[in-house]
Amino acid sequence: MNAPGDRLRILVAMSGGVDSSLAAAMLVEAGHDVVGATMKTFCYSGDAAESKKTCCGLDGIRDARLVADRLGIPHYVFDVEDEFTRDVIDDFVTEYGRGRTPNPCVRCNSNTKFRDLMKRGRVLGCDGVASGHYARLDRDNGEPMLLRGLDRSKDQSYFLWGLPADLLGLLHFPLGELTKPEVRSRARELGLETADKPESQEICFVPTGNYRDLLAKKLLPTHPALSPGAIVDTRGRILGRHGGYSGFTVGQRKGIGGGHAERYHVLEIRPETREVVVGPRELLEVGGVVVGELNWLTAPPEPGRRLQVQIRYRSPALACTVVAVGGDGVELRFEEPARAVTPGQSSVFFDGDRVVGGGRIDRVTATAY
Amino acid sequence: MRHIEGSSPEPEVLPVSTISSPIYLDHAATTPVRPEVAAAMSASLAEDFGNPSSGHAWGRRARGRLETARASVAAALGVTSDRVLFTRGGTESDNLAVLGRVRHALEKGATPHVVTSAVEHPAVLEAAERAVEEGGRHTLIGFRDGAFDLDALEETLRDDRPCLVSCMWVNNETGLVLPIGEIASLCRGSGVPLHSDAVQAVGKIPVDWAEAPADLLTITGHKIYGPKGTGALIVRDFRTLRPLHFGGGQERGLRPGTEDVAGAAGLAEAVRLAVAETPAESARLGALRDAVETGLLARIPGARVNAGSLPRAPHILSLGIPGADSDTLLAALDAAGIAASGGSACASGSSAPSGTLAALYPGDGAAALRLSFGRLSRSLDAGPVVRAVAEAVGRTRSLGSLALS
Repeated sequence: MNAPGDRLRILVAMSGGVDSSLAAAMLVEAGHDVVGATMKTFCYSGDAAESKKTCCGLDGIRDARLVADRLGIPHYVFDVEDEFTRDVIDDFVTEYGRGRTPNPCVRCNSNTKFRDLMKRGRVLGCDGVASGHYARLDRDNGEPMLLRGLDRSKDQSYFLWGLPADLLGLLHFPLGELTKPEVRSRARELGLETADKPESQEICFVPTGNYRDLLAKKLLPTHPALSPGAIVDTRGRILGRHGGYSGFTVGQRKGIGGGHAERYHVLEIRPETREVVVGPRELLEVGGVVVGELNWLTAPPEPGRRLQVQIRYRSPALACTVVAVGGDGVELRFEEPARAVTPGQSSVFFDGDRVVGGGRIDRVTATAY
Repeated sequence: MRHIEGSSPEPEVLPVSTISSPIYLDHAATTPVRPEVAAAMSASLAEDFGNPSSGHAWGRRARGRLETARASVAAALGVTSDRVLFTRGGTESDNLAVLGRVRHALEKGATPHVVTSAVEHPAVLEAAERAVEEGGRHTLIGFRDGAFDLDALEETLRDDRPCLVSCMWVNNETGLVLPIGEIASLCRGSGVPLHSDAVQAVGKIPVDWAEAPADLLTITGHKIYGPKGTGALIVRDFRTLRPLHFGGGQERGLRPGTEDVAGAAGLAEAVRLAVAETPAESARLGALRDAVETGLLARIPGARVNAGSLPRAPHILSLGIPGADSDTLLAALDAAGIAASGGSACASGSSAPSGTLAALYPGDGAAALRLSFGRLSRSLDAGPVVRAVAEAVGRTRSLGSLALS
């Protein structure tokens, strides 16, 4: 983000994956004074007594260190387990408990990773923080702005709307103009140990992929989200039973049972009655959305402004109009009805490629039933 | 760099001041091989490639060097050479002492019960936990009123007859010296074998087998300017141990595998020199440690010396620093050219939660900083170290107050 040619001291978040490995390598190639850091976010074995030693052997930390050694840069491990548990894991559990579907990576980017690294980086004399996200940074009349990554199939700007605006000018996303195959081939050229490491698909603190195990561990067995309830249609008729609404996400088709699997989609989760409302696909369409817990990376838009909004990762942005803007929420109207708008998920506002801001979907408006 | 208008002003990046040349203050993690050791090893590598088990001249020559090394280790520690069992390091010696005793007990049909202090190295603690998995028990003896709980040990030894008590001589994280003489006499009174990990004791304080008659004693090469991957277990009675490795009769069948003759030669020279130099080295390290300690306590408000009220070996200074973050402090020290560690050097490089400090200071959240002195601090002046460490602590403490959250 600084003038080309400036030699900066930059702290790079290294997860041990290929993306952040190459990000570090590119900054070294560009002549910067690079310091690597891996955040230890949680105890991977899940068992408090055993986990401390298991963490030390984690592949991610080991791989990040191997790459840092190859690049000839220092590498440090920062234990942020307490903060991560409080800000990311506990929020994840609370959201599912409320019948919503959270984006934990957004919480981590917004609250934990970048803030924490910037603070520690300052203690280490660093001017900025970098990561291997597929997003771009540029300036508009001197003002830093966040843009989509050029490779639309990898673009991760959706996960970055919650970045503290005052950090934008201090960040570096070296991969923003590359495609994933380019990243892999450059990593191979440089002989980085992580060049062919498989993509991580799971939520880092749910390595088994089954988040309900985590909920079962963190919530009381009597919690409504884990208790049986009714599957109902839009008129309240009971179609079946479920074993806990935390197993459902708005828009999903499976898991309803009773021979209705093909016809029904989850339309709504009602935690107060533990009902899961289902209906045919066309009833998933909604006309508008109210987004809360906002963060703006530009000046907040005025009512009447037309924007694009992305309501889930890897889905196209939808044209919309700002209906109302308040301190705690913004109401949007979609130009075409939107499908499967899921409370708890991030809603990210774009003006072209530029991230205007975002928030968490609170509720939908103008439903089709 | 600018910030978006309306946001809070960005705090200045704190300048890093580096000292003129890097300072190694992590001798408790490992030490460099000293020239005399390297010379002994080079000679052995060049001349004794034979297999000590062979009956021919090459074998005899290698065996001769191995047995000379054994005799040298024995002489330095005041034991007979038939008690010295070469291993491949401290972890292996600790594992063999604990699990070797557990397997012996199992073989006799007994339920193995291992008693350890709460401040042991993981090589002892995790081996003792394995005993639990094999149907046995593990009792931890902690600290009471700031001292090792001898009463609890005595009570445990009255209630049961454990197959082993394992209690280190000098704690690796704090330098704390355990009351090994009293522990030994309690064990002897109950007829229970005592193992002591003396890895941090050799060369720092007198390790006197006559005064504290342990039945098993762990030493290692790399903490005393010897090679890594070398160690020994001093064993009073070989018949009461069972092996963890199989496939050869070397080292009385308790550590099979072709012997590392050059490693043994290096270990022997390292032990010989360390023991011979203990009085002078101990006085020198203690004076330096005290100067750094006094300086840091004066410059770091709220700092505490871990285990400060207990007897300590002279080479380790462990500070408890409230309001600081250990990971960031160590990174800041590294950036400033000072090598130190937190509680101990964990494999991941992250600050491992310290069992020792938890046992000494339950519920305490202070960051741990371990500075350990040795031969690389010979010409070290306490002043610049104190200034650099105090500055890094100050910077790290500002972490909590930096804007952005």
